[in-house]
Amino acid sequence: MKQRTSLIDLSMRAWAVIVFAFLFAPIIIILIYSFNNGRLLVAWGGFGFDSFASIVTKPAIRDAVWVSLQAGVISALIATVLGTLAGVALARRAGKWVPWFLVLLVLVTVTPEIVDAVALLPWMVFLGQDVGLGLFDNGIVRLVVGHSLFSTAVVAYIVRSRLIGLDESLEEAASDLYAPPLRRFTQITLPLVTPAVLAGALLSFTLSLDNTIVAAFVQVSGSTPWPVYVLSAVRTGLRPEIAAVSTIMLLLTLGALALVAVVLRRAGDSATDIAKTVGGG
Amino acid sequence: MTTHSTNAPVTMLDTPPARRRPDWLKGPRAALALPAWAWLTAFFVAPVGMVLWFSFGYKPGIFGTHANDRLSFDRYAEALSPTFFQTFQNTLWVGVTGTLICLAISIPFAYWLAVKAANRHRGILLAMVMIPFWTNFLIRTIGWQIILAPEGWFSGLLQATGALDEPLDVMFTRTAVLIGVVYNYLPLMVLPLFVAFDRVILPLREASKDLGAGRWSTFINITLPLAKPGIIVGILLVYIPLMGDYITATVLGGAKGNMAGQMVANQFQTAQNWALGSAMAVVLILTILISAAIAFLVAWLASWPLRARGRLVLGSPK
Repeated sequence: MKQRTSLIDLSMRAWAVIVFAFLFAPIIIILIYSFNNGRLLVAWGGFGFDSFASIVTKPAIRDAVWVSLQAGVISALIATVLGTLAGVALARRAGKWVPWFLVLLVLVTVTPEIVDAVALLPWMVFLGQDVGLGLFDNGIVRLVVGHSLFSTAVVAYIVRSRLIGLDESLEEAASDLYAPPLRRFTQITLPLVTPAVLAGALLSFTLSLDNTIVAAFVQVSGSTPWPVYVLSAVRTGLRPEIAAVSTIMLLLTLGALALVAVVLRRAGDSATDIAKTVGGG
Repeated sequence: MTTHSTNAPVTMLDTPPARRRPDWLKGPRAALALPAWAWLTAFFVAPVGMVLWFSFGYKPGIFGTHANDRLSFDRYAEALSPTFFQTFQNTLWVGVTGTLICLAISIPFAYWLAVKAANRHRGILLAMVMIPFWTNFLIRTIGWQIILAPEGWFSGLLQATGALDEPLDVMFTRTAVLIGVVYNYLPLMVLPLFVAFDRVILPLREASKDLGAGRWSTFINITLPLAKPGIIVGILLVYIPLMGDYITATVLGGAKGNMAGQMVANQFQTAQNWALGSAMAVVLILTILISAAIAFLVAWLASWPLRARGRLVLGSPK
């Protein structure tokens, strides 16, 4: 019996190693190929730093990354503010409106991105040209709007599940001690949900940086975000610079992730709680 | 929440006294959801509603994209005609197979992560699962393009070891798309399954073993049923975006691995037939909803005999 037990455990561990290898294979490949000195990304042409050097000399790449960062920060801000407020309302102010609002959030989450994309393109054109709101002809505005929808729903879920897990008595104590609603919100409720808000903000930012489908449709030429630049390169020919930029962005993302993990751990969450918060469950 | 009037007899069945607060305090907080509501109505409900409206129209001439002066279901008939129907079939195949493969990979893996892995390593292992998830979707897929290339090193390795006689030939096929989507959505299956297995606490599993159940029987009868909500979440998190995916199919699929998302995109970007593209988008959403509903119905019916026989009844039955 003892022998059989350890055999099952052993095969599960082997399976885990295989899964991790599978998960990391393409990422490691991209890391290695960012030092490819060849002309095309797929064909190895010797080790070197040419690709990193050409990031500096090619303005198109830097512009694309800059557009992505701008859209990411602004849409994360909007999604975090809207989602946090909605999440607090969902958790603390139950009423007849809650099921309807949840249906809306679920619809936003389950609608395939491609449908959002094809719907937003004519809508932006309509708002910008037919209604005359020139704001919606601006590339960054369009990207921000498109990226904020899904993220708003995600932040609302995360904040809601965090607050539902917390006792309301602290907030009640505050109002029993005559704290006005606004002060109660900023001094009690908000600090309680901070880890969830942070996780939501980071998730929104990453989702925005990652967003290719909606961005490809709503983008205005002149403000092409990074993933759309890469997508067009897939069609015309991938060069090693793309891997180099990805390597830099991966390192930045890992840094941000580590930062959030440290903040969450300070707040006393276990690894499992962090996974639950970040995973939105 | 019932509204209290001041001169009504005080019944506190629903709220304990300490929780009573003046009504003016309740109002503002419900209003906190209003900005999100307005934002999502303006930029989700309205545009998607417009697509629904377009789908009943038609394409007027070569230069027009859509017209709605005659309304009909003709675009739906067109979207379901044999040429396009095949793509929907293909999408459904990739969606269902991909989700099942993700599930098969994730169940032992997430179980190991939640139950077997050492406690002090769990945080870092979870972070490792999430790293691909936080790397750009498109870049990860391009990584697979490098690995699967017929003239690439992996193909060379397979040939050198004698596993293959000729260069690897999976790029631009349905298999390549399947590898890509399984890879891209795997973390979305692992995380909810991990949380679900993590919730099935040790004492329950030990109790099952103390009562004479083997480890396999414990897993099937205790752990798996209790983890069911997490499994459902995982299936939905993978299946829905997978069905609408168009990036993976564009990078790895080529012409042979066409998916519905590309077809919708083509109608809007290349063919400029917004009416047909809209109808396809609606058909895609309906396909996802109906297939998910059928899957859950089948799973529910299939587990009927199991539930009737093996239900654990606590206390005396009525």
